[in-house]
Amino acid sequence: MFKVAPKTKTLVCIGTGGVGKTTLAASIAVGLANAGQKILVLTIDPSQRLAQTLGIKTDGELHQVKIPTDGSGQLWAGVIHHQKAFDFFIRQAAGKTGSDVEALLKNRLYLQLSGRLSGSQDFTSLVTLYRYVASEEYDLVILDTPPSQHTWNFLRAPEKISNLFHEGIASWFRNMDGEKTGVFKKIINLGTTQVLKALETLTGSQFIKELAAFFKAIQSWQGHLEEYVMNCHRILTSQSTEFLMVTTLDPSRLHEAQKLSREIRTQGYKLTTLVINRVPEWTKLKSHSSSKRINDLLGYYQSLESDLYKRLTHFKNQLKVYKCFELRQNSDDVKNLLHNFEKMSSLD
Amino acid sequence: MSTVKKAHFVTGKGGVGKSLVAASLARALSHQNKPILLAELNETSFYKDFLGLSQISYKATEWKPNLDVAQWSPEDCLKEYALHLLKIEGLYKLFMENPVSKSLIQIAPGLHELALLGKITSSPRRHGPAMMHDQLVIDSFATGHFLSLLRAPSAMAEAVQFGPMGEQSRSIDQWIHNPEFTEIYIVTLSEELPITETIEMFHQLKKEFKLTAKVFLNKVLNLTKTDLETLDSSIKTDLQNTFADEENARKLLKKNGISFSEIPLITSIDTEVITKKVSEVLNV
Repeated sequence: MFKVAPKTKTLVCIGTGGVGKTTLAASIAVGLANAGQKILVLTIDPSQRLAQTLGIKTDGELHQVKIPTDGSGQLWAGVIHHQKAFDFFIRQAAGKTGSDVEALLKNRLYLQLSGRLSGSQDFTSLVTLYRYVASEEYDLVILDTPPSQHTWNFLRAPEKISNLFHEGIASWFRNMDGEKTGVFKKIINLGTTQVLKALETLTGSQFIKELAAFFKAIQSWQGHLEEYVMNCHRILTSQSTEFLMVTTLDPSRLHEAQKLSREIRTQGYKLTTLVINRVPEWTKLKSHSSSKRINDLLGYYQSLESDLYKRLTHFKNQLKVYKCFELRQNSDDVKNLLHNFEKMSSLD
Repeated sequence: MSTVKKAHFVTGKGGVGKSLVAASLARALSHQNKPILLAELNETSFYKDFLGLSQISYKATEWKPNLDVAQWSPEDCLKEYALHLLKIEGLYKLFMENPVSKSLIQIAPGLHELALLGKITSSPRRHGPAMMHDQLVIDSFATGHFLSLLRAPSAMAEAVQFGPMGEQSRSIDQWIHNPEFTEIYIVTLSEELPITETIEMFHQLKKEFKLTAKVFLNKVLNLTKTDLETLDSSIKTDLQNTFADEENARKLLKKNGISFSEIPLITSIDTEVITKKVSEVLNV
């Protein structure tokens, strides 16, 4: 049976697109809630069917999900709404200083930052995660990370955002629309002017103007923003956070997972679990069929599985490895998610 | 001087086998005796390990006769692009090595995407270093991100109307809209989610860019009812579902007026064997 350490408060599910990460995160949530815990699962882009199954809407709110047994457990689920999450982050940081945030929230660059950028989707997921972990209302918060090319995009999101808010950058732009005399002349040296010029060539003057307005707007609560970003980042490296990597029965994906798990652990993130998802239930059967096509297929899946067992030695001494069966058409019921969870089996 | 005549973009939902199909497509095209370049747009290379290459870089490396591979990370493309625009090496260094501009570039909307498409269309636009390849196969981003890639030039042209950048954005945008140059392939599996995404993407590309994408239905099992009869129950249910998915996928694609070709599941775990077999079924 799948378990996390007793003191674990956060479970972050990572893995490349198309491995069934979202459904697996939901299955684990249902399973643990059913066993009596109070669980929150945060997803990014659930399929329509999964959203219906859990009864959640894409409104950024949390919804309680009915679980199969009437135990003491509770299951809450929500879809992360990136614009709302970024607004929440800005309001949180601004709130402490009592500044007016409306000017910033209308800034066009801000809108692009919060709504369009792939990097910010990683960040808003993290902000949302921090929000609910910090509330201490749940035994465990499970996060399904955004589909991204690489897990590093997610792990480096706080760093990226933090660079943006860094004091050094902001000071460049604050006086940009003032005349270039006096103190301002001293601040902006020749190098800076050239860099701004170059940036203008690359991005257009409109972008620079908006950037200036943006930094002007946040200058009074910059410290709080940075502090908040740091808190978000701390969640990722906390001892009460576990990472779970999802992959499938495919040699090139397993190879990637192998490389990534090494890197992630070296960097100090607590990756504890690997789930090989979508393993057909019948790979172990030594069934013989009179159809050549079927026999080819069986042989193929058996070779995939033996490739997996060869690679397992690389994972086993560091990670708990589970396999999980293919969850197909029948995922339209919470009971099936529970069934999926119960059938996760350890490969030790 | 030779010019790149076509860019074949391969996209699709995550996990459908884009990279494999792109590599196989490049292999198929290379049999026509013209030099082909297979380019991936990842920050961390997928092809190096997958194709068993000793190295991969921004510059082309040979994989097979008439077929090179390169890794065009957005960052490298931007570097080349910035150098091209800023001209002066010293200014470029000052600009690129500055932590401030570095982080600004990371957040500037669409800049990386523009640089990538700038690189892809650089040969016909006669900008940047010469390319000796006849056609490019681009292992592109997954569906959502792919659309924002294609949208970047027109968005940028709108934001920056004047100057070299506005000019370039417009010219990149024109090449991307040119069906003689741009060919798009959507790879999909038979399952409901990727099929839905494929159909949406197909219509969107048509509406927004007037481009008709080609669709590859990947990993088709193509079992017959007789095959299924020979099985005992647990396998049977599973494979029956796949059978139904495949029937449904064909029906939906046809209903939407999408022409597609099927790629059978290759029952091998050897990349060399798989790309060879897939390249044989791709009709190019």
